[in-house]
Amino acid sequence: MAEPDDQKLDLPIREYLDRAFDERRRLGMLTGTGTDRDFLRAVAAQGWFSLAIPESYGGLGLPLADLAPVFAALGEYLVPGPIVENCVLPSLLVERASAEGRSALLATVEDGAPVGLVAPHTGSTWADQLGSVRCTDGKLDGEMSLVRFGEQAELLVVVANDERTVCLVDPRTDGVIVVADGKGDPGSSTATVRFRGASILGGPAAEGRSAVALAAEIRGWMRMLVGCYLAGVARWSFDQTLTYVQQRQQFGRPIGSFQAVQHIVADMYASTRSLENMCAAAAEDLRDASPQAVDLRAACLKAYAAESARRVCENAIQMHGGIGYTFELSLHWYYEHALALRSWFGDERDLEREIGFAVLAGGAARNTTTQEVAG
Amino acid sequence: MIELETFRGEARKWFADQNLPVVPLDIDGRFEVLRAWQRTLFESGWLGISWSTEVGGRGLSPVHQLVFNEELVRARAPQPIGLIGLEVVGRSIEHYGSDWQRRELLPRLLSGEDIWCQGFSEPEAGSDLASLRTSARDAGEDFVVSGQKVWTSWAKQAQWCALLVRTDRDAPKHKGISYLLVDMSSPGITVRPLVQMTGDEEFCEVFFDEVSVPKRNLVGEINAGWAVANHTLGSERGSYTVRRRAELEVAFDDAVAQVQSWSGGGRERVPDRVAAALGKAQIALQVLEGQTRKTIDRLVAAAGPTAEDSLDKLLLNGVEQAVFESVVDLLGPFRTAPNLAPFGLEAERWIHDHYFSRAVSIYGGTSQIQRNIIAQRILGLPRG
Ligand SMILES: Cc1cc2nc3c(=O)[nH]c(=O)nc-3n(C[C@H](O)[C@H](O)[C@H](O)COP(=O)(O)OP(=O)(O)OC[C@H]3O[C@@H](n4cnc5c(N)ncnc54)[C@H](O)[C@@H]3O)c2cc1C
Repeated sequence: MAEPDDQKLDLPIREYLDRAFDERRRLGMLTGTGTDRDFLRAVAAQGWFSLAIPESYGGLGLPLADLAPVFAALGEYLVPGPIVENCVLPSLLVERASAEGRSALLATVEDGAPVGLVAPHTGSTWADQLGSVRCTDGKLDGEMSLVRFGEQAELLVVVANDERTVCLVDPRTDGVIVVADGKGDPGSSTATVRFRGASILGGPAAEGRSAVALAAEIRGWMRMLVGCYLAGVARWSFDQTLTYVQQRQQFGRPIGSFQAVQHIVADMYASTRSLENMCAAAAEDLRDASPQAVDLRAACLKAYAAESARRVCENAIQMHGGIGYTFELSLHWYYEHALALRSWFGDERDLEREIGFAVLAGGAARNTTTQEVAG
Repeated sequence: MIELETFRGEARKWFADQNLPVVPLDIDGRFEVLRAWQRTLFESGWLGISWSTEVGGRGLSPVHQLVFNEELVRARAPQPIGLIGLEVVGRSIEHYGSDWQRRELLPRLLSGEDIWCQGFSEPEAGSDLASLRTSARDAGEDFVVSGQKVWTSWAKQAQWCALLVRTDRDAPKHKGISYLLVDMSSPGITVRPLVQMTGDEEFCEVFFDEVSVPKRNLVGEINAGWAVANHTLGSERGSYTVRRRAELEVAFDDAVAQVQSWSGGGRERVPDRVAAALGKAQIALQVLEGQTRKTIDRLVAAAGPTAEDSLDKLLLNGVEQAVFESVVDLLGPFRTAPNLAPFGLEAERWIHDHYFSRAVSIYGGTSQIQRNIIAQRILGLPRG
């Protein structure tokens, strides 16, 4: 069977997960807060969070695009937790943050302290219900709901003033109140974060136009890497299904010999492969792309991932019949987490609109096949 | 071999210097203009780019061919008329044909002097192509062909036909098929055009009544035509998908440009539904772009036809239909009064293209057949 491109960066991560991420540990997280401080400490020690940190700050200095296969692997293993925040935010902010901010960021890289992202992170449909944060003279006011790992976070990155300020805050500071939102996703827990005159760490990391650009970069990389994670979710759900339809017998033969089943499995395969190919293409192109180029590509990738990973999970459950609906089988964990990630930074319906407006504003540049061959 | 970007630059410059032909809507007028255009392209060295020089090609790589196609499409130039010959059957003749066939037939195929059609489907053999019944009897010097083909595109205009025939009734169905090249002016051939959904008379019924075909027109071995047929179908699925991608991107860019000139570039006049439809098409095209990189890798590696071509074609079918469905959906009630151009959209074109997009999941093997191939040949699921 044809396999997606073999990638190298994800291999040590897969090996580590095979060794250290057992079912007991995973279930503990999925039925708990969606993360585990010891696990984060352990993977920090493995260097996960320093992959994209500039070499001058002790990281490997990889472009964030190179993390695509890593996140696909995390999706396959359904590793929950604030991994994407902890990989992306310190890498994007470390050079721009104030001295206090920088040392707080580097500390999270060292020991895996969860980083929370307080930013508008839904599509436009729900934007008004999410809240907003203002930053004036280094003090924060306002609130934001559905902050992933808001309660666990030991450092918050805040996108305030309609994206015209990006800053850092220590959640233990006076004037920061965190209230759990309830837990609707096995892979994360969310909270509403309120600010009542809370002081930011040092000065803002970015203001004005550069903050708008930084917020777009944050959004773009979250979309891109969550899209890759969803590709991993789809891959795992598809692989499980392919195995199952060859084993399960009904009417005296494997259910995989029925055409109705074959066509659904073929569609799952087409969705999974095309999503993986899209991730690989984006990773290739965005290695040294301008931040502006990231925005539209990542939005397209996230939109397709949101739609196709969800469909693959649903078909996986359907192809398993009753057992697919049990709590015991892991299919539902993948599905539930995929549904939560689907909406984070936009599902396909909100993104279609956003992408359409971007295209009308002249945002779509066409690749040529030679660029693709050269890449 | 000439470097790709240099080659692209030459093609781009050449198109910029051309007076592009104006293509009439009626099928006969269209045929004549596009045939003359093929001649122009041929004389300027733009056809058979990846074919060997001995048959009149340029001996460059398949990627050069793709680059040229991309420049052609982006220049808004029409495709030459003989695409079935150039892109589908010609490639199989180049690969499997005898010296005589390659030397005598391919140069005229390239220049457009000979137009080719593909006589595969029959009234009783569509998806189940291998059950075809049109037969060729051995009559010493010649084969004698009798039977009927259907949905044969451009048969009325064609000089030659790549014909699948049964040459052994007793063998298992895939093992009794041969691949013949038939001169369409041979006595005993009757062609009857059929009108398509778009209103075009593009495909035809073709009747063969005791038609003599010289034995040198057999491609490959007798009863070994199925492999050649699969090579032809592979081109109709894999490399077709890459070519079609460029056309879809340009069509979509045109739709966007039309809406932009209506809206004056601003956001205010644009309803959310319009933006969402365009966004949906853009996402679909981006999916196809990621997918075709793998196809291009296979073309570069000269991998030959594989079941992966079916994956490409299945995805193309979905993407092409999503793109035109999104655009034509914006015509809404105005589709009945296309001259009014809602949101600046040139309705007649989009209605035509949308109708044509309904055929993509039928020709070259239906989407259901591609799914069967993926399930059984890529994924190894048992036959039902
Ligand atoms: C615009 C156009 C141009 C064409 N040009 C050419 C040409 O130039 N030369 C040529 O030879 N042919 C040509 N064709 C024919 C095309 O290849 C056939 O129409 C196609 O292979 C389907 O065959 P059929 O029409 O007999 O449909 P059928 O095979 O009768 O199929 C009818 C329906 O049944 C489904 N079906 C059939 N078998 C199965 C199965 N095993 N499993 C699941 N579903 C199944 C099909 O998917 C389809 O939905 C063209 C068709 C079109 C639309």
